[in-house]
Amino acid sequence: MELFLQRLFDGLSQGSVYALIALGLVIIYRGTGHLNFAQGEMALFATYVVYQMGEWGWSIYPALLVGVLVGFVVGAVAEVALVRPVSKKSPFAVFIVTIGLFQFLNWLDGAIWGDQLLPNSGVGSKQSQFPSLFPDQPDDFVSIFGAAIKIESIGVFLLVLVITGLLFLLFNKTKFGLSMRAVASNIESAKLVGIRTNTVLMASWGLAAAIGAIGGVVFAGINNNVNLGLMFTVFIYGSAAATLGGFDSPGGAVIGGLAIGVIENMVAGYLPEWVGQEMKIAVAFIVIVVVLLFKPSGLFGTSKVERV
Amino acid sequence: MTGVLHLSGVRAGYGQVNVLDDLSLEVGSGEIVVMLGANGAGKTTTLRAVSGMIGRSGTIEFDGHSIAKSSPDAIVRAGVAQVPQGRGTFPELSVEDNLRTGAFVRSDREVGADIDRWFDVFPRLRERRTQRAGSLSGGEQQMLAIARALMSRPRLLLCDEPSLGLAPLITQELFQVIARLNAETGLSVLLVEQNANLAMQIASRVYLLETGRIVATGSAEELSADDAVRKAYLGF
Repeated sequence: MELFLQRLFDGLSQGSVYALIALGLVIIYRGTGHLNFAQGEMALFATYVVYQMGEWGWSIYPALLVGVLVGFVVGAVAEVALVRPVSKKSPFAVFIVTIGLFQFLNWLDGAIWGDQLLPNSGVGSKQSQFPSLFPDQPDDFVSIFGAAIKIESIGVFLLVLVITGLLFLLFNKTKFGLSMRAVASNIESAKLVGIRTNTVLMASWGLAAAIGAIGGVVFAGINNNVNLGLMFTVFIYGSAAATLGGFDSPGGAVIGGLAIGVIENMVAGYLPEWVGQEMKIAVAFIVIVVVLLFKPSGLFGTSKVERV
Repeated sequence: MTGVLHLSGVRAGYGQVNVLDDLSLEVGSGEIVVMLGANGAGKTTTLRAVSGMIGRSGTIEFDGHSIAKSSPDAIVRAGVAQVPQGRGTFPELSVEDNLRTGAFVRSDREVGADIDRWFDVFPRLRERRTQRAGSLSGGEQQMLAIARALMSRPRLLLCDEPSLGLAPLITQELFQVIARLNAETGLSVLLVEQNANLAMQIASRVYLLETGRIVATGSAEELSADDAVRKAYLGF
């Protein structure tokens, strides 16, 4: 029972990071129908900025705020300068552009923070210490039904719940949220009712990258480490989370992320000979395949309803 | 007659192809102007040129001010609302949220009262206020599209083939609502149609559009007296 609870909370805090990446993917997908391959690397760039602020003596919370702002700007600029001009020519090419952005940002991080000789090769670079957002000393835990649960795990989980709640309010209770939903639903009509769709798309990419930045900082904090490969697997799990929840459902992304975090930790914990730490990434792929087979729109995604 | 909308020498199209070629027309204040034309004549393109959705050149004036270079949102703010072809509702949004998007350019506090007002005009929308727009019938969606356009409190309403895919009875009902709004509020309307019979009943004036040019204009009576027009558009 104690072991179960520990694995549950470890899974929830891991899953929280996947949820944040998945949220970013979903926000962009809803707005533009694009899968943003650079979501993880945008987050990593912002995370490195937070690391740099720490090196300059800032404490983690104000540094996080700067990181979120930097993330927003990176996302917004990527949309205006790269995605928008390319998608006018060919929507399919946006896919390639986001892969290019993935490569570029990772190269840039390596050049600035990775101690890499140029041109760098990417992975396997310098590991840098990174502070956690929450108390994470060995004795920072609370006892729940006899299980020792890290305060950090609880903090990360609560943080994601708060962000999800704020996003829900933004989407459903504000004029900007209404315009985002309108653009996602029918961009032509959104223009015709006077919504500045370009501004909405720019802000959506910015918002997605800002949320990703929080995910990156949280994940680096959990690992006490930031390196060039930090977001590779997180991005894959985040995509799995978005697929599981339904690519157009923010709530689904969060539940999908948490579910995959928990499944992954349970499977790795209870089946150490079969799966273990090395093979647990396969669990994400199995989840994607199974969900796509039985429910292509994801657990909470909308299948298109249309009457003519 | 003071013109609300004035077009002259308008060219517009998609890419290299000009659909409209030297088009001129006028909508007077409080008029219902109907533009008839076959598929591909340029009816939708005309409306899209007015609402700023495509590249266009020539003179386009609304209330005496040029809107030929304005962005779609500026044109909505100026007081022009378009009901797009095929209704163009937001299928994933509720009926009420659809109406709220129509008030996007407004910042006053009377949006809720206006929603109620259109629910009075279209009671079936009130019954379905929390339903997703995509689950409504074609006629209900067309009502929603018109109500959404009116939520911006326009002075000129552009309607793109509202009869498309609707039963004649429903179309008639919709046209009566448009005529009533026009009579009660002085709303000017530019209505584009293939279905000439019903549209001409409410028209103050009619334009005939063929391959991007106006080929005839006059009152509904004048045009329905014209043999060529009768054969081509009225079918008798």
